[in-house]
Amino acid sequence: MFSKSSGRADLEAGLFFTGFGVLTAVLSLQYPLGTIAMMGPGMFPFMLGTILAILGLVMLLSGLSGMGEESRSLPLVPIILISLSILAFAVLLVRVGLAAAIVAQVFIALWASEHFSWRRAVALSLGLLAFCYVVFVYFLGISVPLLAV
Amino acid sequence: MDLLTNLDIGFQAALSLHNLTFCFIGVLVGTAIGMLPGLGPLATIAMLLPLTYALEPVSGLIMIAGIYYGAQYGGSTTAILVNLPGESSSVVSCLDGHQMARKGRAGAALAIAALGSFFAGTVATLLIAAFSPVLAEVAFLFGPVEYFAMMVLGLTAATLLAHGSFIKGVAMVLTGLILGLVGADVNSGTYRFTFGSFSLTEGIEFVAVAMGLFAFTDIVSNIRSNQSREVTSPSLRNLMMSAKEFRQAVFPVIRGTAIGSLLGLLPGGGAMISSFASYAVEKRVSKHPEEFGQGAIAGLAGPEAANNAGAQTSFIPMLTLGIPSNGVMALMIGALMVHNIAPGPFVMVSNPEIFWGLIASMWIGNAMLVVLNLPLIPLWVRLIQVNYWVLFPIILVVCCVGLFSINNNVVPIYFAAGFTVLGCLFWRMRAEAAPLLLGFILGPLMEEHFRRSLLLSRGDLSIFWHSPLSVAMLSIAAAMCLVILLPQIRKGRKVAFEEEA
Repeated sequence: MFSKSSGRADLEAGLFFTGFGVLTAVLSLQYPLGTIAMMGPGMFPFMLGTILAILGLVMLLSGLSGMGEESRSLPLVPIILISLSILAFAVLLVRVGLAAAIVAQVFIALWASEHFSWRRAVALSLGLLAFCYVVFVYFLGISVPLLAV
Repeated sequence: MDLLTNLDIGFQAALSLHNLTFCFIGVLVGTAIGMLPGLGPLATIAMLLPLTYALEPVSGLIMIAGIYYGAQYGGSTTAILVNLPGESSSVVSCLDGHQMARKGRAGAALAIAALGSFFAGTVATLLIAAFSPVLAEVAFLFGPVEYFAMMVLGLTAATLLAHGSFIKGVAMVLTGLILGLVGADVNSGTYRFTFGSFSLTEGIEFVAVAMGLFAFTDIVSNIRSNQSREVTSPSLRNLMMSAKEFRQAVFPVIRGTAIGSLLGLLPGGGAMISSFASYAVEKRVSKHPEEFGQGAIAGLAGPEAANNAGAQTSFIPMLTLGIPSNGVMALMIGALMVHNIAPGPFVMVSNPEIFWGLIASMWIGNAMLVVLNLPLIPLWVRLIQVNYWVLFPIILVVCCVGLFSINNNVVPIYFAAGFTVLGCLFWRMRAEAAPLLLGFILGPLMEEHFRRSLLLSRGDLSIFWHSPLSVAMLSIAAAMCLVILLPQIRKGRKVAFEEEA
């Protein structure tokens, strides 16, 4: 379940937060910093980014020293499939319509679980389509294109 | 007498058929998701938030609140019957509650949990009604300096009491603050971090952040975990508790209510901490500590009352100061802001029907929950047996349609997908996501007050040392940071959270 090397979580978190902090600080330099009394739009994010980068470095050190926490192992396939199913929904919703978006999302997402079967996917798609139509389109009056062609 | 007139306004708002319906939907949904392991109130409220945009603010808030405290009731049912915590706050209820069920006292355990929660809910509602106006009075004295100091204190405490490493929590708060700054700067009108994209000018959609980090990330981390669910079905005949059991439950419930009410008030407090604290106290004061873990009534009654009281009093800082003490409160603030209501002491004056209506609805909702929970148990038992593969596609689709409905636009869906990947990375790095959400909500406010303070003092940082309130709050925050760095407490905190894991 867990990766073997100890302190991996802190090491990775340290890298991430240092990177994000530095990026924020650098990007905020493109806006006027102003003075302490009259702060420009760049000042506050610059401060936050700097503090974050320092905290990131502290984490990095604790990770390197092996004192940090162990990381959890990421289930790669579900991450890819679940994100893909969300993207597919967005793309299909405006181009083809709600029906296609729901069917695609259910099939791709269900594929990520160990319980995939065609019958289950079809049943869930139809049920959700009916549910979304009744709740969102009929009751709440949200203008979702059922078929966008 | 003021209290009575106020409560009258509240009950008038809450007792309208419209609002009663939403209160009922809220507690019903809350109970259901509280029972289902792998679906928590944060994810559910994020999922339903877009729907509340179409409602009046009062109705929306009543429903969201109902989901939150309803989940505390539902979570205990799963804990007792299946020995799985439906909610993180009902972890402790597994210990003795499930043992009672195995001894054939499932009905009595459920009754104790429901009635204890109802008592706690009633007391907590009264406390909110009595103390919120007082706290709001104090909040009216706050200037930008005090507000900034309070946000620092609130965020520090919330991070400290949340689980996971403290330094990662602080880093997550900072990340949230930064993400919250994306969009137009209030003071200068400059577009910050928008990368020239029009869809970022109003900032990152809050619901997309919440759904990505909570609802969708939960799906990824739950999808491969197969939990066997053996349900101990209680027969309704022995739903009644004996007089002896009732007597044994009375004092733990009262103590639990007191502990929960107090801990719920603290930033970062709320249901989970309260139930752990109450269990520890009950075990200490008990004459038979050896019974704990074997089905001790005090070990169920105390924490059950405490988690419900804590869930409810955590509304007080949100309602009076506009400071969220946990993720759910951050979502409620988001819901208020969508309706152009700035959370804080002014809500009570400018929108009394929202403030008092919400409070009155909590008591009504608690009463509904007792009615819902006890007779409907056979129905709920079947719900627990629903498989996760049915559940997660429903969550996904409802969330995505909801994201689209915010602006009739698919951009928030893309953002939610991005935050899902980010949420999974945080999960891997063991960085808790709730502090990020708190920071995200408070980011612009905190900057605003910080800038205004220093404008007032003409750049003199010592202004934060000149106000006694601000000094007090900042010193408490600093003391907390120091304390957490002491190795002994670090160890104790780790043990407390390991019990939960």
